[in-house]
Amino acid sequence: MPPYDDWNKIDEEEDEELQDASIYETKKDVILFCIDCSETMLRLYDDPKYEDVKTCHVFTALEAAMQIEKRKIIVGPNDSVGILLFNTTRKSENTSRTQGSEIKANTYLFQPISPLSAPKVQELIQLLDAARDDPEEMRKTFPPFTTARVPMGDVFTSCNWVLRDGAPKTASKRVFLITDEDNPHPSGSKQLITSARTTLIDLTQSGVTVEPFFISTNEKPFDVSKFYSSVLLPTNLGDEEEIQEDSSVLPESISISRIDELLSQMRFHETPKRALFSIPFHLADGFTLAYGLITEQRKGVYKYFVDLGDRMEVATVRTTYVDEDRQAEVDRAKIVYGPDLGAGAAGDNEEEEDESSGTFGARIVKAGNRVRTKGKKGQHVEDLIIAKPFYSAEELRSFRTLGLEPGIKLLGFKDRSELAFEDNVKHSQFIYPNEMSHSGSKRTFSALLKSMVKKNKIGLALCLNRRNATPVFCALLPQEEAKDSNDWTDPAGFHLIPLPFADDIRGAPISEAFRASEGLKTTARAWVDKISVKNGTYPPDSFPNPALAYHNEQLEASAFREEYDTESFEDLTEPKSDMMHKRAGHLMREWKKAVMDDPSASLVVPGAGSKRKADVSVDEAEIKSKYESGLLAKLRVDQLKDFLKSKGQAVSGKKAELVDRVSDWFDSH
Amino acid sequence: MPAERAGYTVTMFVIDTSPSMANIRSVEMQNSAGETTAVEMSNLQWSLQYVKLKIQEMIFNGRKTDQCGVIVFGAEDTKNIIHAEHGGYDNVLEYIPIGQPNASTIAKIDALEPSTVAGDSMDALIVAIETQARYLASKKTWTRKITIVTDGESPIEVEDWEATVTKMDALNITLVIVGVDFDDEYMPYTEPNKSHIKRANEEFYKILTSSMHSGDIGNIAYAIRETAAPEVKVVKSALLGTVLRIGDVETRADEAIELSVKASKATAMARPKSWKKFALRESNREDEMQVEQDKDKAVFAQLKMKTEYFIDRNAGADDDEDDEIKVEEEELLDEGNPEVKKSLEKIEKEELVRGFKYGTTYAPCPDGQFPRLQTRKGIDICGFFPEKNFRRELSMGDIQYIWADPSSPQQQVALSSIVQAMADTKRMAIARWVSRDGMDPKMGVLTPVVQDNVHFLLWSQMPFADDVRKYTFASLDTLINKKGQVLKEHPYLPTEEQLEAMDKFVDAMDLVDAGDKDEEGNRTPWFDPSLSFNPAIHRVKQAMFHAAVVKDVVSNPLPPPHPETLKYFDPPKRVLKRARAAVEECKAVFKVKEGKPCPIVLPKKVARAKVNGHEHANDEDDDLLLLDRKQPVERTPSQMSVVEEAAPASSKGKAPANAEDSATESESEEELLLEKKVPSTPAPKQGRGAPLPTPARSVSPMIDAGRAPGRIIGNTYPLKDFQKNLAQGDVVSKAVEDLSAVIAEVVMKPFSSRRTDEMLQCMTTLRKTCLEEDEIDAWNAFIRDLKSKCLSRPGNPGFWQHVKKVGRDLGLISKQEAKKQGGDSDVSENEAGEFIS
Repeated sequence: MPPYDDWNKIDEEEDEELQDASIYETKKDVILFCIDCSETMLRLYDDPKYEDVKTCHVFTALEAAMQIEKRKIIVGPNDSVGILLFNTTRKSENTSRTQGSEIKANTYLFQPISPLSAPKVQELIQLLDAARDDPEEMRKTFPPFTTARVPMGDVFTSCNWVLRDGAPKTASKRVFLITDEDNPHPSGSKQLITSARTTLIDLTQSGVTVEPFFISTNEKPFDVSKFYSSVLLPTNLGDEEEIQEDSSVLPESISISRIDELLSQMRFHETPKRALFSIPFHLADGFTLAYGLITEQRKGVYKYFVDLGDRMEVATVRTTYVDEDRQAEVDRAKIVYGPDLGAGAAGDNEEEEDESSGTFGARIVKAGNRVRTKGKKGQHVEDLIIAKPFYSAEELRSFRTLGLEPGIKLLGFKDRSELAFEDNVKHSQFIYPNEMSHSGSKRTFSALLKSMVKKNKIGLALCLNRRNATPVFCALLPQEEAKDSNDWTDPAGFHLIPLPFADDIRGAPISEAFRASEGLKTTARAWVDKISVKNGTYPPDSFPNPALAYHNEQLEASAFREEYDTESFEDLTEPKSDMMHKRAGHLMREWKKAVMDDPSASLVVPGAGSKRKADVSVDEAEIKSKYESGLLAKLRVDQLKDFLKSKGQAVSGKKAELVDRVSDWFDSH
Repeated sequence: MPAERAGYTVTMFVIDTSPSMANIRSVEMQNSAGETTAVEMSNLQWSLQYVKLKIQEMIFNGRKTDQCGVIVFGAEDTKNIIHAEHGGYDNVLEYIPIGQPNASTIAKIDALEPSTVAGDSMDALIVAIETQARYLASKKTWTRKITIVTDGESPIEVEDWEATVTKMDALNITLVIVGVDFDDEYMPYTEPNKSHIKRANEEFYKILTSSMHSGDIGNIAYAIRETAAPEVKVVKSALLGTVLRIGDVETRADEAIELSVKASKATAMARPKSWKKFALRESNREDEMQVEQDKDKAVFAQLKMKTEYFIDRNAGADDDEDDEIKVEEEELLDEGNPEVKKSLEKIEKEELVRGFKYGTTYAPCPDGQFPRLQTRKGIDICGFFPEKNFRRELSMGDIQYIWADPSSPQQQVALSSIVQAMADTKRMAIARWVSRDGMDPKMGVLTPVVQDNVHFLLWSQMPFADDVRKYTFASLDTLINKKGQVLKEHPYLPTEEQLEAMDKFVDAMDLVDAGDKDEEGNRTPWFDPSLSFNPAIHRVKQAMFHAAVVKDVVSNPLPPPHPETLKYFDPPKRVLKRARAAVEECKAVFKVKEGKPCPIVLPKKVARAKVNGHEHANDEDDDLLLLDRKQPVERTPSQMSVVEEAAPASSKGKAPANAEDSATESESEEELLLEKKVPSTPAPKQGRGAPLPTPARSVSPMIDAGRAPGRIIGNTYPLKDFQKNLAQGDVVSKAVEDLSAVIAEVVMKPFSSRRTDEMLQCMTTLRKTCLEEDEIDAWNAFIRDLKSKCLSRPGNPGFWQHVKKVGRDLGLISKQEAKKQGGDSDVSENEAGEFIS
């Protein structure tokens, strides 16, 4: 199950029976798009991107929904998506559809909630394509309800029914509400507001989160206080298991954006927020906070085994442990654990010198080894228990955790500068206070954060994230709230950066090398300056994983039964060489020349490596001339190898292969 | 510093099996919980424990070039290379020839029994040297080690030992002599009633080892404990060649830059070694005969993993509920429910087709993957950016060194110029790394490192856009009410007082000066990753070693972890002591309370919704617009006893389940606001929100009579006051300081002699406390001061006489004594002795 592979990956490759990450695996995500189809939503305007194309809010909303579906289908193949439209006069034509067949008037279930499939996405794509050809298509497909507006209460009720029928009980359920109407009940009827509120509470209490995306335009600005602030107020009430019980206000769950930002806004909400774990944070004896933790990052590799028959079916994988000599399966409860027996260890006992079976060992102990222990009262007790130089799974866990309970324990503070670049082994995690388990956590956390930022400190903590994890020292890097240019706010919290242990740190294999002169450095600096981004940083958002994208596009094409045009793929991570050459090309050329002229060019590294061998190294120029005259074969194998090695090429194979490789290299350079 | 070469070592174990090794002793075994049990075993068994642990270490590391051999002296038989040629080396047996050890080596060692003849350790040593030398005749560079394990009770022919030393030094041999009950100053241990011969032998061994370049002698108990000391397995990272590119080398080769570089790992996560699975082989009918014979043997067979594939033919029928059923099935499968198994069909792996899931549809993909992205090996620099903008938390994994080609000075100079240029301008580079042609690219940053003798780059992988999960969290600072106003005060927002307390806490817990003193006596920072051992790795290793060398882990439990593995588990004592006051203050002002995690409320909420609906619709606008209004639902009685604690989570509102009468909600809030002003009100009713925080002032203790201002120890009952303070865990330093002052005062007063016994008692307690609580300097200062006061005029020489009578137990705390308690002192043993005499 790829989507949360990274979360599920337990650090210890063994002991799968101890894994407790299954909740993340089995938890499905359900999104119901709830799109307003009112007159204003369908009003056509010029597409900002393409000339002579008309578009409307509904089109953009559906396109965003399609994009989300396309992403979800790959990231979470078991997740479900549905689309509900309101303020439209279209009726459900198919009464056999059980799901949401009784929804309120003027709401229409376009796509019932169901696991995603290629045809489902294609249906939406076809509709969008048709709408692009004929801008009136949307209006035709979903005629607006012009005489009045559907009460929001009815909308929420419909959502509730649809979700009740369509969504698995255990899933995390969310409604993405998309509308541009900030005042759906202009009459200001108390009754309508109350019913909207009541139905919304109903929805919330059945475990559904409503995430509104409000569209605001210059002509029609969106004012939350007109209606929604009083209705949405208790939205997150019943949402126990998530940590988004947060105190605060509108921005947390409401996005007000321009229509063209709808998709990017949705992206922020695309993955349901899940606490990776919630563990106590001990600041000092008797001073404990609780934190919910969230992780980021990384994607699993998709590998499924599928069986072929009249249809495709996933094969269930089951792992068992067998005693090979006996071909007998062993009950998991009876497994004990011991150390490796060492190289070539086999049934190594004098009588059993038959090491013919070879591969597998057994350890023989004297049974009934009459273990003599001193009993409590001083007399000897004879035990007839089988002596057992093995441990139970429980004991194994205690060795790993050293008897610690999950938690973060603060050890003290250090200067920010002590967090070195090279002290890294693993990606970081993000922690945020959980007011639910320890009241007062938020203010304490906030005070700690402020104090550390002020003093430019990092925290040092001993962390055990899960019951079967291993303890690790972490740096707590304070993160202040910060807004970036894309309206994205970095939330306040701590980054928990695992530090390497002494066991993880490797010594530098090289301690001496030639250094450049001041002059050469200045020449290098000239072009380094030119290809620097003044106020830049590493921008993760600009680099989608190209290998993954390439794979997913092919997967999609294969699912849609389309040919994939590999030429169309664009790798955004490739360096912008044109720009670099334009800006700094001549400076780089100068530097190259300076390097060639540097006295080091004629130096040979003394000693090391060349063990009593005559100096056979030939320089690149000579090899090049041989290459040009087709005389590469005249060179000796070690010379070819030296050259290839210096170019980072493989040095395996026969001489002919080496020659080929060398000429290949020159061909491409 | 260059990594040391691991392996390439031959260790000779020279084991004493003389009759005296059969003596039975009671060895204290400590289990993980720290409980001790006594186990009886012979000296030989005990000694072998050490040998086995050492050999297990070699098995564990699994290096072919880490070899050992075993020579036994005091053996019944004689068989060794020198005796075969020259004779005269009786009762020395080459028991296990040199080779890479495995579990059978350990089994063989287990089979050793004490003999009936005494053997000479020097004979055996010479045999070991010779055996090792012949084996390594063509491997001059290998490391040679010899370990003698003996009880030192058998006579030694010491003639010509200098020649042996010369020989060993010439061969660069490291000799370690590990003795049963040998005196050892590190342990520290001195054997009482040592036999005459053993005393002489130990003396000889000391001279022998100290006259070598590399020799050592020690007590076996200490040596066994030290085998559990964490030791880093040295891994030398391989240098992998690649190229560093800037620009387009294909079309603009004249400008584009291409450097030959080598990459090697700077960090790589080490994991505990995996356990092998075993199961007791149960007897079945077929081999009952055999079982008869091997009645006293139990066989634990190592298990192998087997993966099977199943298919559910019926699954397609009920598509809709497919998922849930499957989950159930998997569960049942695990329990081996035969009924469910029936509908499943086992499939051979060959019949399976690989593919990918695309929603509910499948995309077959026979090769296991689609064509890969075409990539070219190398590191491409995409641009530079200012180092200060680097976001440290984005680092994804291992760090790698990037070196210039060590064989090309020109490449080194070239890279050096780039590194320096980057370092001078404080820049990092964004780079794209492809490890091999056709491999998936990785993105990362390169940072310059300028060292005295070498310039290089460090690489850290950075996340792709897909890797970063963006989550929204409520702001911790900006709370907005319904009117859109930013709130200045709220239970979630720390107050000035709280911020101040936290500042003090952060300052007090600073680790910058919390480490040990360096040579110049300056405090160093506490914690250094390069000294922090991975506790799991070393504990697992210790457990593995233990299981490998003992026959039963129940009667012979695993000892507790070596202290070195746990050294960073708690903040340093110094810091804790310093922070005690700040922690108390924080506890007082923040009032963090554990609440019952909110129970998951099951659908039963209609009632509430209805009731709520009416009143809330008209809610006054001033109300806080707080989206969550949850609270810890109930408090346990113990928590309720706390005086009116603030519970901000529950600032207002209630859990949905608690929907008694939401109509009164707004009023109840009012109430609560009032309540907070009366801190002594008993805890609020269950289910009600608790009041806003009111930092309670801590009550300052009543001043007892006899207590001088500012002191926490009175002159009237100093010992009682002192013990009370300690019991409360309050500031120990202050208590020590005050008691010292009180004692000095009392002693210097006229007619103090009637309190002499009391004062001596005070001093005994004080000294004990100082020793345990790392207040050693304070005690030494106190006792010096007291001595000079007593002996000067007008002093109290009589009192000092009493102190002297007690002797060392009231004297200066020496370095040696301090060490036992994990402390330090600058007083030598002699100085301490003289002081009190």
